[in-house]
Amino acid sequence: MTADARRRPGIERALAAVAVIGGVLAVVAGSPARPTRGSVDVTELARIVEHEEDHVTAVELARWIRDDKPRLRVLDIRADSEFADFHIPGATRVPLAEIARMPLDSAATYVLYSEGGTHAAQGWFLLRARGVKNVFFLRGGLYEWLEQVMNPHVPSTTPQAQRDSIRALTLWFGGKMTVVDSASTVPSAPDRELSAPHKSDARESIRKIRRRAC
Amino acid sequence: MMAPLYEFGRFGDSASLVVAVLLGIAFGWFLEQGGMGNARKLSGQFYFTDLSVLKLMFSAIVTAMLGLFWLSWAGLLDLSRVYVPETFIAPQIVGGLVFGAGFATGGLCPGTSCVAAATGRKDGLALIVGMLAGVFVFGEAFPAIGHFADSTARGAWTLPQAFGLSYGTVVGGVVAVALGAFAGAEWLERRAERPARPMKVVA
Repeated sequence: MTADARRRPGIERALAAVAVIGGVLAVVAGSPARPTRGSVDVTELARIVEHEEDHVTAVELARWIRDDKPRLRVLDIRADSEFADFHIPGATRVPLAEIARMPLDSAATYVLYSEGGTHAAQGWFLLRARGVKNVFFLRGGLYEWLEQVMNPHVPSTTPQAQRDSIRALTLWFGGKMTVVDSASTVPSAPDRELSAPHKSDARESIRKIRRRAC
Repeated sequence: MMAPLYEFGRFGDSASLVVAVLLGIAFGWFLEQGGMGNARKLSGQFYFTDLSVLKLMFSAIVTAMLGLFWLSWAGLLDLSRVYVPETFIAPQIVGGLVFGAGFATGGLCPGTSCVAAATGRKDGLALIVGMLAGVFVFGEAFPAIGHFADSTARGAWTLPQAFGLSYGTVVGGVVAVALGAFAGAEWLERRAERPARPMKVVA
């Protein structure tokens, strides 16, 4: 056979030796799946959290999106189906596990949000540990977005200029502002403690918004 | 299609197709250079006279496996992003037997039949027609056999998972099996050659 004439035993033996060495070393080399290691400055993180520099309010985020903040990346870490139902415009769905290993842009500003705030806060920690400086999370999650941006209830005592600015922002995202009698409602200040409504509440609000959009 | 350049958006769809065409041409060229477009050579496999296919397959497996393992070990490649085809035990055993019967009869497998056809061999062309007809029949028959085709699913099932061993141990084991298979194949080929020589003298 011509193939046999072309054979070079020297090369074959060398290749076999490479395979043997590669195979034997593989047994003792340990796992090929490298753990993604990060390191955190615990004191620094504690300071950031204490000074509440770790999160954005829904209104701030809405302004960033509207004003086209350079290299803003909004990450939605909820389930696929929830993302399909409704998400903040321009957001990308990224599972929490993916946050641990996705390629990062160190110059970008990352904003994480989940349904409430807990998962996003955990994602915030992961990204900080991976060395991202500009990372924030939406403290009240999508509830806060729905309450403050899509469907804000503004007391009638709010100054006209402020009311107009809220209305403009809400309209930009296709929401609807409601003016309420100040006596009958809790002031809708962005920094007040947010109650955590039930899951069905969020779904219900989303459904209302979708109906309006249609 | 192809990670990582496609996945990270460095390639669009069309660039990815160009890469696929170039890789395909290179793949076919090397198969032909290895004599894999020749049905006589391939069917030697089933008579234990020419085990080039076995040796080629094991060389490819060992090369790709060591490359993936060490690139991943060096942190240049993310093994969790490498696509692992899913396992369906019973349908794949039946499919493997059908495939083997066709391979032994025609002397070519789907890839090598394309290589054979590209070099103008008519048996390669006939097998491509047969392959497409088979795909069509399978597609038409799917409503009836789909239930079986989806049975005994194991998902993306790897040897480390199946044996509960580390990746490195499986890599070392596969290299050992490959070298054993090489030695066995060469022994079979030498044995097949021995009675052939006096016959040549007679002819």
